[in-house]
Amino acid sequence: MVTPSELFRYAIHKFRHLLRGNGGTEELEINRMSLPRKLLLEAAMIMVAVVYVVPFYWMVLKATRISILANFPPDLNPFSRTSFNNFINNFHQVWSFGNFPTWYFNSILVSSVVVTTSVMVGAMAGYAFARLKFRGRNILFYVVLGTLMIPFPVILIASYVFMVDIGWINSYQGLILPQIASAVNVFLMRQYFLTIPSEIEDAAKIDGLRPWQIFYRISAPLAKPAFAASAIYTFIGSWNNFLWPLLEAQTVNYWTLPLALNFFKGANGTQIYWNQMMMADILALIPTFIIYMIFERYFIQGISLTGTKG
Amino acid sequence: MAGVRDAGSRLESRTAYLLIAPLFILLGSFVFFPAAFSFYVSLFHYDPFNHSIYYVGFNNYLSVFDSPLFRLAVINALIYTTVVVSTQTFLAFGLALLFNRRFLISKVTRAFVFLPAITSSVALSIIFIWFFSKQGLLNYILAPLGIASQNWLFSTTYAFPSIMMLNIFSTSPYFMIMYLAGLQSIPSPIMEAAAIDGVISPWSKFRYFYFPMLTFTTLFVVILGIIGSIQLFDQVFVMTDGGPAYATYVPMIYIFNRAYLYPGLIGVSAAASFLLFVIIMVITIAQRNFLKEMKW
Repeated sequence: MVTPSELFRYAIHKFRHLLRGNGGTEELEINRMSLPRKLLLEAAMIMVAVVYVVPFYWMVLKATRISILANFPPDLNPFSRTSFNNFINNFHQVWSFGNFPTWYFNSILVSSVVVTTSVMVGAMAGYAFARLKFRGRNILFYVVLGTLMIPFPVILIASYVFMVDIGWINSYQGLILPQIASAVNVFLMRQYFLTIPSEIEDAAKIDGLRPWQIFYRISAPLAKPAFAASAIYTFIGSWNNFLWPLLEAQTVNYWTLPLALNFFKGANGTQIYWNQMMMADILALIPTFIIYMIFERYFIQGISLTGTKG
Repeated sequence: MAGVRDAGSRLESRTAYLLIAPLFILLGSFVFFPAAFSFYVSLFHYDPFNHSIYYVGFNNYLSVFDSPLFRLAVINALIYTTVVVSTQTFLAFGLALLFNRRFLISKVTRAFVFLPAITSSVALSIIFIWFFSKQGLLNYILAPLGIASQNWLFSTTYAFPSIMMLNIFSTSPYFMIMYLAGLQSIPSPIMEAAAIDGVISPWSKFRYFYFPMLTFTTLFVVILGIIGSIQLFDQVFVMTDGGPAYATYVPMIYIFNRAYLYPGLIGVSAAASFLLFVIIMVITIAQRNFLKEMKW
């Protein structure tokens, strides 16, 4: 009897090109490249990266300043002792502003429920579409993919009216439920399940496992990278979602962080408190940045799975 | 024997229906039903707050057509889409060609370039409100060129290009990853053979190999770009709210304001969202046919 972990190791071995990228065009470049050309390309990469980092660097810099006005010449060091004290001070001001802890809690609650349910629902359906035979499988799969063609605005207004009619405006279920069904997750999961060799499942079938046992014990553990990729995308999407909470959460108690950030923008009348705005920005970005740093590989993979290998 | 197999396949299909049931319940309640309900609402004067609901036929659509504001919003969206999609597609392809190397440094820098793709649109908009503000970075950069400092988002001329700039900046990395995935799916032997045949210069490699082989990726990137651009909302709402003087007014702001600020106009809002849907479909289909005919 083969243990799941052995199967997992086998799958990793067999499909490592999916996990690491299969080389492609990048490999032969490096052998033939002259040193000056290599240095030139590296300099270009660093310049592009700097352009992309500068706005975020400035966000951190602003959050470590007490004065709301720009100094001239600007002090560019966000790591000095005063900067740190200012940072803590700004943090206290933002954290005690309005219902900031509640907004943070709401964001965490909504996103984590959306991620768990959406990935589970997507994996179940994705597995059924990839592996199980049933009547109407193709048609139903096209129906799911067809939802990608419906632009969000068309659903938005009617969902809002529907929520008003059933009294779900300002409620957690109203914030969460419309965000769960995701054709992208179903598609990503199905694509990944299709890459798992069916011999493994056939062997399990001969050993007498029921279809849902095969899904639960054999195939789902093998699809960890796909679970990771869709969980991360769903989390980022839900954490950053602005338009739906804007309509749905009309009282302060149900706000999520993007609404709070937008509120900060105009909170102090005519005077703009850049330091507090940027501090609030940082607090909202921290969870996504941490997840991104840990799982960067899966981001790339998720896009390649859904994007081009259709 | 046949009976055993039947029982097995019946079990299999029953399992399958159970596995897809939650998905279809959710899609039914929160996608298909609202999409149909939205058309129903667009034929009514629909005010759920005051419980005043009556049939008005296609009057909502007529009032959208008659609205100069909606026409302005659509024109703005088309300008925005043309500029942003063309620029970001080129930029994404260029960045992908640059970062498609197996240097250690490319892995590290690529991770930084991808940052805006994971950043909340509201947080990024707020950073860029500062960037374009009077004390912001853009004025610092332009000062040596003798350009007077101003708040670029308060200017009717520059507010919309500023938002375009932000979105080109933040969406290109996402599409860069798609191009990277496409580039890595080109088998090495093809490029080796090309090198032996004398295709060495970067331009000829691009012209004869990368671009034609990634036509599908380009199609995908362009269509996704168009769909995203036409639905532009977050950045405009946070940075300018359609102003100054309607310079950044786009269809989603029109739709949102009708539904949110004036409960009596929800029917008009639904009608406008349906028209937006039609515009998106027409562009998507036209684009697909155009790219299908364009063979390199």
